[in-house]
Amino acid sequence: MSNPLQRFTTAGLLSDRKVTQLMVFAVLVFTIFSYISSDIFYTRENFSSMAYQVPEVAILSIAVMLSMLTGGIDLSIVGISNAAALVAAYILTKNMTEEGAITNSWILIACAAGIAMGLICGLINSVLIAILNITPILATLATMTLFNGIAIGITNGVSISSLPEQFVRIGTGTFYGIPSPFVVMVLIAIFAGFIINRTGLGLKVFLIGTNRKAAQYSVMGDRRVVAWTYLISGFLSSLAGLLIAARVSAASPDFGNSYILLAIVVVVLGGVNPMGGFGTVTGVVLATIVLQMVASGFNALRFSQFLYLAAQGGVLVLVMMLNVILDRIRTARSISKSLGA
Amino acid sequence: MSINLKRLLRRNETVLLVAIIIFSLIIGSRSTEFFTVANLFDILRSSFVQLIFALGVLIVIVSGGIDVSFPIVGIFAGYAAVVIMQKFELNSESLFIPILLAILIGVLLGGVNAVAIAGFGIPTLIATLGTAGVFRGVMLSFVGASFISDIPIALDEFSTADLIKFESESGFLVRLHVLVIPVAIITIFVHLLLTRTIFGRSVYSLGGGVEATRRLGISVKRTQIKIYLLVGGLSGLAGILYVSLQRKANPYDLAGSELDVIAAVVLGGASIMGGYGTVFGTVLGVLFINMIKNNLILLGVSSSWQRAAVGILLVIGITIQAIGENKRNKARRALTEAEGD
Repeated sequence: MSNPLQRFTTAGLLSDRKVTQLMVFAVLVFTIFSYISSDIFYTRENFSSMAYQVPEVAILSIAVMLSMLTGGIDLSIVGISNAAALVAAYILTKNMTEEGAITNSWILIACAAGIAMGLICGLINSVLIAILNITPILATLATMTLFNGIAIGITNGVSISSLPEQFVRIGTGTFYGIPSPFVVMVLIAIFAGFIINRTGLGLKVFLIGTNRKAAQYSVMGDRRVVAWTYLISGFLSSLAGLLIAARVSAASPDFGNSYILLAIVVVVLGGVNPMGGFGTVTGVVLATIVLQMVASGFNALRFSQFLYLAAQGGVLVLVMMLNVILDRIRTARSISKSLGA
Repeated sequence: MSINLKRLLRRNETVLLVAIIIFSLIIGSRSTEFFTVANLFDILRSSFVQLIFALGVLIVIVSGGIDVSFPIVGIFAGYAAVVIMQKFELNSESLFIPILLAILIGVLLGGVNAVAIAGFGIPTLIATLGTAGVFRGVMLSFVGASFISDIPIALDEFSTADLIKFESESGFLVRLHVLVIPVAIITIFVHLLLTRTIFGRSVYSLGGGVEATRRLGISVKRTQIKIYLLVGGLSGLAGILYVSLQRKANPYDLAGSELDVIAAVVLGGASIMGGYGTVFGTVLGVLFINMIKNNLILLGVSSSWQRAAVGILLVIGITIQAIGENKRNKARRALTEAEGD
């Protein structure tokens, strides 16, 4: 163990078996698609377009991951992100001139209002789950319907489009050559990583996910911790909503309905235990990139979007099955080892 | 006697029944169209398909699981049955061939769920989210993605097979569909299955606790397999009936309707944690949701608020249940503390 290389591998990134698996997987997917479709997949344009699409899914997935770490789940992320985007888009379109010009302060106000909307939605989830003790699946299923329903009711199901140029630049521009949504994603990943790895809140999140009863008996204020996770999840969802609105220059109550399945696939693929207690931000971001590469690859090979949908679902089920099988093998091996010794 | 009355008042079904009566009175006082036989028959007609789905969902929820793949299984079975009928030019006068086909396909797809859930122990929500993606993707890329309007004659004619048909005083055609009889039989059958058979008791026991069920000597896996096969069959039946009543097979339909059905079952008093739920409550829940959805317009609410209304009902319903549950827990704790003293 004194070997420095070994210490590095056991203490660093590679210590996490799931992250290692994912890295191998990512390289594999990358090589296969680059080989099969070198003219479409392995191009600068494709990678830059991926860099614009990865962030929104990654941020939503990090939001789901936080609630999943406590053993819950947040199904209302897409409802929240659409509601936030609609609020921001409404303020933007009301305050811009005919040509689409708007002052920077209105953009800030619109973004703040969108985030405030996300926080309110997150607060509703928190109240239902942490204070009223409703099962997370059920509570967020209900609020998902509610947020989506309110958005449809207010807008009559019509989307708000042609947002001002300056706002759209957030979602389509670059920052020192790097697509700006990607920068936002990295910042959020660092923020989320900091929260779950370096703060008391993060430690408590893991403890609650590992054993809720034990957490309750140790009087750590488990309800407050759970409330915080859904509030943060609402906040992150609203950011993702703003990014989506800025990228496509529109907000609609029907955007990204497929993102719920996608986010859960990403989180599970990223090695987060759906029962709570284990997961890493690195894994989630890597999983997002892998899935985005698969999506782009399918696109480059002209497979239909429905085949990609099937692949997503298939990956989710297969990864879960693989985890179960590997777990069984590991248990069997450790039993036989202890019996032999 | 007084204790029985109190217990009766506390039951979820009673609360729901009171809610239905109050809402009926409110809507009825606003509009004279509400208290008509035609409206009652309309509500019944729009409830048939949902009720069959809901009975399947009830069984899953009572067993402590949650299924979000059933609408996809339903439309897959219904659509594929029509496609098979046309491709092999089967007797289009027969009503039983497509229904049988759809039930078989439903059972088959339910078998996939059963393998994932019973075989590998994947959490039910994640397993069915994944399989729903797979089924939808497979249907749209391999079975077909186009709308079929010339469904087999028997199915087409079945949509207007009325049990009672008369003209009301205002010259309005009042119709009661013949499906009311088979749906009632299925409902009673599921009720008897859940309350009068060993399988039914093991479903409740599974919802109460997996480990306890195992120690009772009930095979958890075998029970789960039976549950998901049965639910698949019910969903297939509901899917083909949907196709028949709509007089068209549209593979894009039903997706996204899972929440309304789960909402109906949960409003009907089934506990999402498993172990509790009645067929009577589910019937009331389905009727309640359809009553609200069909008659919002009579209340002067625009139809784009339908989804929000379902969301609000669901939030209120689960909040009431949660408050009751919290109170009961507190009372139990107080009781044990008093005994300890």
